[in-house]
Amino acid sequence: MAITTEELEGGITKVVLDGRLDIENAPAVDSQMKTIAGGRNSVLVDMSNVSFLGSMGLRALVGPALAIRGRGGKMVLFAPNEMVAKVLKISGIETMIPVHHEMNTALAALL
Amino acid sequence: MTVREPNQPEACLSLQSKLSEIAQLPSWIGELALRHAISKDVEFAINVCLEEAVSNVIRHGYGDGEEGMVTVHFAMPAPESFEFVVEDEAQHFNPLDAPTPDTRGTPRVGGQGVHFLRHFTEKLEYTMTPTGNRLTMIFAGADSGT
Repeated sequence: MAITTEELEGGITKVVLDGRLDIENAPAVDSQMKTIAGGRNSVLVDMSNVSFLGSMGLRALVGPALAIRGRGGKMVLFAPNEMVAKVLKISGIETMIPVHHEMNTALAALL
Repeated sequence: MTVREPNQPEACLSLQSKLSEIAQLPSWIGELALRHAISKDVEFAINVCLEEAVSNVIRHGYGDGEEGMVTVHFAMPAPESFEFVVEDEAQHFNPLDAPTPDTRGTPRVGGQGVHFLRHFTEKLEYTMTPTGNRLTMIFAGADSGT
């Protein structure tokens, strides 16, 4: 899985995930997300190119989200596809990490 | 209607009890999806459930370093009905005994896997075999919780 970051206005960090967030890729994503989350308080995770999300992949999202939230920061997920969104919904994770399908509302949630 | 017995799979994948072996699942499932016209949504659901089921066997059934095999059988007991049976020779362990997580409060990551199995499958059944465990999952082509 490829991970890229982009700094947006307002101190928001956009993290773009591209690929499968499965048991094989989850550890590397988890590690990189922890590094990113360690120094930032407003993170938007672009999920639009995430083709798969399993239960192991959820950990790579929850850990950083909890770390950011613990510092008073925010993290949101942006534009997961229908099935990835379903996994987020079934797991209840979306109640902890807000999911947005429009960029303007995702950014507004971080300000 | 001909009902195919679990011991007459149409396809079979054998994996060693290492988490790295799970990487073989997506392409195997993808080939089955093409061959049997399984929709993308159902294919996704199958991937979620098999990743969970097989990783559970490796992590909890066999434990650290224990060698063994995990075999996944595929069959179509009926049109638009896709049956996956995960068999192992590990210590007896019923993954369905795990409680369904309460998603109303603060979600926790652990324990979600069984929740996915229950949500995405039309039928989910555990059987203790003389030598190990068998988990049967049936996905419906029309709507597998998708």
